[in-house]
Amino acid sequence: MIEHLGPQLFNGIVLGAFYAIVALGLSLIMNLTGTINMAHGSFMTLAGYLAYSMVLRHVPFGWALILAPLFAVVVGVVVERTLVRPLYKREPFYSLLMTFGLSLMAEEAFRLIWGPNGVPFSPPASLAGAASLGFMQFPTFRIFIVGVLVIAIAALAMFLTRTRFGLRLRAAVQDSEMIAALGTNTQLLYAVNFSLGIFLAGIAGVLAAGMLGLSPTSGNALLMPAFVTVIIGGMGSLFGSIVGGLLVGIAISMTTLFIPAASEVAMYVLMAIVLLVRPRGLFGEEGIFG
Amino acid sequence: MTARKELLISAAVVVLFAFGPWLSPLLHLDVSIVSEVLVTAIAVMSVNLLLGYTGLPAFGNAAYFGLGAYGAALSVTYGHVHFIEAVLIGMVAALLGGLILGPFLLRRRGIYFGLLSIAFGQVFYFIAYRYTDVTGGEDGMQIARPYAGLPSAHVTVTDLGFYYTALVIFVIALFAFRTIVRSPFGRTLIAIRQNEPRVRYLGLNTDRFIFVALLISATMAGLSGALFGLLINFAYPLELDWHQSGYFVLSMILGGAGTVWGSLVGAFIYVIGKDIISTITQWWQIFLGALFVVCVLGFPRGILGTLQALRRRAAQQFADDDAHV
Amino acid sequence: MSRPRLSRRSFVTLAGAGSAAAVFGIPAYIPRIGEAADSIKIGLLEPYTGVYAGPAENETHGFEMAADAWNKRGGIMGRKIELVKEDEQNDAGVAAQKARKLINQDKVAALVGTVSSGVSLSVAGVAATTGTLFMDSGGHSDDVTGKSCHWNVFRTCHSTWMETHATGYALQKRFGKKWFFITPDYAYGHSLEAGFKDVLAHNGGSVVGNELTPLGTTDFSSYLTKIDAAKPDLVLVFVQGDDYTNCLKQMNQFGLLKKYPVGGPQVELEPLFGLPPEARGGYWGIEWYYKSEKTLGKNNKVAQQFVADTLKRTGGKPPTARNAFGYITLDRLAQAMNDAKSVDPVKVARAIENVHFTSIFAGSAYYRKEDHQLMWPMWVAKIRPNGTPGDKYDLFDVTDINAAEAVEQTIAQKQAVCKLGYPS
Repeated sequence: MIEHLGPQLFNGIVLGAFYAIVALGLSLIMNLTGTINMAHGSFMTLAGYLAYSMVLRHVPFGWALILAPLFAVVVGVVVERTLVRPLYKREPFYSLLMTFGLSLMAEEAFRLIWGPNGVPFSPPASLAGAASLGFMQFPTFRIFIVGVLVIAIAALAMFLTRTRFGLRLRAAVQDSEMIAALGTNTQLLYAVNFSLGIFLAGIAGVLAAGMLGLSPTSGNALLMPAFVTVIIGGMGSLFGSIVGGLLVGIAISMTTLFIPAASEVAMYVLMAIVLLVRPRGLFGEEGIFG
Repeated sequence: MTARKELLISAAVVVLFAFGPWLSPLLHLDVSIVSEVLVTAIAVMSVNLLLGYTGLPAFGNAAYFGLGAYGAALSVTYGHVHFIEAVLIGMVAALLGGLILGPFLLRRRGIYFGLLSIAFGQVFYFIAYRYTDVTGGEDGMQIARPYAGLPSAHVTVTDLGFYYTALVIFVIALFAFRTIVRSPFGRTLIAIRQNEPRVRYLGLNTDRFIFVALLISATMAGLSGALFGLLINFAYPLELDWHQSGYFVLSMILGGAGTVWGSLVGAFIYVIGKDIISTITQWWQIFLGALFVVCVLGFPRGILGTLQALRRRAAQQFADDDAHV
Repeated sequence: MSRPRLSRRSFVTLAGAGSAAAVFGIPAYIPRIGEAADSIKIGLLEPYTGVYAGPAENETHGFEMAADAWNKRGGIMGRKIELVKEDEQNDAGVAAQKARKLINQDKVAALVGTVSSGVSLSVAGVAATTGTLFMDSGGHSDDVTGKSCHWNVFRTCHSTWMETHATGYALQKRFGKKWFFITPDYAYGHSLEAGFKDVLAHNGGSVVGNELTPLGTTDFSSYLTKIDAAKPDLVLVFVQGDDYTNCLKQMNQFGLLKKYPVGGPQVELEPLFGLPPEARGGYWGIEWYYKSEKTLGKNNKVAQQFVADTLKRTGGKPPTARNAFGYITLDRLAQAMNDAKSVDPVKVARAIENVHFTSIFAGSAYYRKEDHQLMWPMWVAKIRPNGTPGDKYDLFDVTDINAAEAVEQTIAQKQAVCKLGYPS
């Protein structure tokens, strides 16, 4: 068993990196406006399908990786403007229900447009193989995912700390009334924030489509781990989402090693424990949800 | 609304449902789907008690629903019990679930309560899925519909017989629900929803009130689950999934959170609406999703809630009968 | 803004009320489409929404084609067949209610369909209680013809036992005896596990690894990393549908498909289409195929016509095993009703049992009297990742054919658990 420890740990970290990207998007959307986006998985699947359609028309994978999420953002902006914005003043659970309804519609729409069966989508040949890491063979594509995460985090961090817009975003999370009083266009802020979250979802969706399969029901499976990650890492903390993602990834792969039957349930048990012991999670801020 | 008027309207509704088996074919519906409405309404009531009246996001009631269904299934299959015993055992199973989870759920409020409910619900879902030997796993468990009546008698429960049994049980449950929410206990729950710290300052132990509400909610959901299992002659893990909890919440919101009859209205719209639309078109899920979205955005008070609000606005009077959202 | 505007709230309320009225009113003023007074209605239950929507559509094509063929010949006893479709949503509760609606309101003569075993069992239960005939076209659980069998329940597709035994012996011959299982940790997976262990027991093989993957696993990496250490002769993958696609894709990305032979009890074309070509490979049990003499028989005109008609109907997509299930089921049901000159369930059931027939596959078959399982051959095929030149769908190279009796449990074994219970 001990010889598996190394590979499993590495595997867990890579898996965790993936969950972290998803959780970051979810967290961004949650932090500013308290919106719980149950349609996050649907946006991921949308970007995956769009990337698939692009690659089918000979768009290079690299471009598809950026363009598909951008198209998803367009949809996201429309959704935010018309459906999400009216719910900002209400309790979080309304957004939960509304986005749940949205995810039902999205699933059927995917079935209508791209058919009920899964579609074959794979990373380009350059990323498709397995790299030898000495102690194991590891898919190059998964290493690529870690690379994307690192870039995404760096870009997000720079945006939030170095640009004025990012500064306003952070200020709004702290106190949106004050920032409105100071003359900032909060509507625009909310829209951009939501778009950022959807963009991250889109990137995660294209990566997921390459790593796993792509079908109308793909989004559902990835939604719950993302929520668990946000809760463990802490609602209100982007850093927490990253750490939480890694923890969830490692927890799942380690449980698989020792008690395989429990590995998916382990996630929910972990979530329950965190909620009971320290609901704001590891790095969350007190009072985000009362 | 005066007590007399309320009694008349209630009686009218019950009489209408009494003619259900003859009215439903006109809508091309089977009597068993109307039974399902009545049974679901009980589950929606259980969510209403927690969410509509006490203000706690009850997203895990499917767990108790499922416990009720499997409790009935196991007792019929291995204990060879009769109808009423099966239902009672289902309720007890759900109540036990509530007793176990309650102390944990009590520690949180708001959305954390909701997420905890989901987490616990999923754990139960996995247990039902995994322990194939006991629960039949994803294949589910067939339940041969047991006899009704005293152990000595062997009264077969036909679809029609089931319907009237469900109607009677529903009326009893509704009456119990109404009594609870209009009692001082119920008033306290409403007060907790409006401002829990204030209730505590008044010297009341809100945890105790919420715990009792949780137990009642669990038992009602279990009653619903057991009845549903006996209706469709089947118990299966999907009944415990959080999506199922979501559908109960949707039904409550559709009908009207915080109203007594809202549960029936919501269950009616959801169950029958889904049945009719899915017969008409394969793309029914788009309509269901759209219903969710429109309902949450457009009338979060639900049908009854909106009607009451309109009435209130028109009459300019305080409504002291139902809690309003 | 003094001009009165229709507030969003009022608009939504009005729209909602209007829609509700329309929805509830529809059934009252639009009669069931295509109601011919003298037709024989057959209720078709399939999961048009959910993960099995693909197979559902294909089964439906098969059903419709069989119904059309019969109707062209004048129908059953001169009456046209009318298929009444309902979406069971891959949910046992919905399926039971829809089954009741079809029986009581639509007055169907029989029920057909279903893909997932849980739903099949639920519908079989309703059929049993109401005394309606139910032919399960696509649900594989052994229990349908085992402990939950009933006089009015028949099953067309192969049982789980048949799947494991048809492939088990063939794979052992080819690859050796040290097997590694990737098993979904629920009822279906466990029954596959049991079936293959039974095969190994007969030939002295061993299980060198058995990874139980819980429900909802999308990432198989944790299980795949253990394969190298176990050094198996063969990796058997039992997961289905989307999970199958995920697992194989990941096996390919980990370079495992190049290192180890892979196989399994059953694969269908539908999930294979969702796999990129480099991840396709291995030996799998298949239940029918549109382009092999082994599956269709030599010069089988009926089979060739079926394939050609399907290609025309779907615009170039060939029929899969699911199409075949639908076609065979309705064809035989109609035949039995015609033979019995009746739609009475008992008479029709008797007319189905043990009647040997030929159809769109090689050889002949019959629905076994003791358990109502269709006894037809099961095949094993090797996957061609890219099809053949000119046909990207031609993914199976059929290698073995197994007679049903050789791979299904014996009558004696079945009778120990299955009591049909004909009404006296």
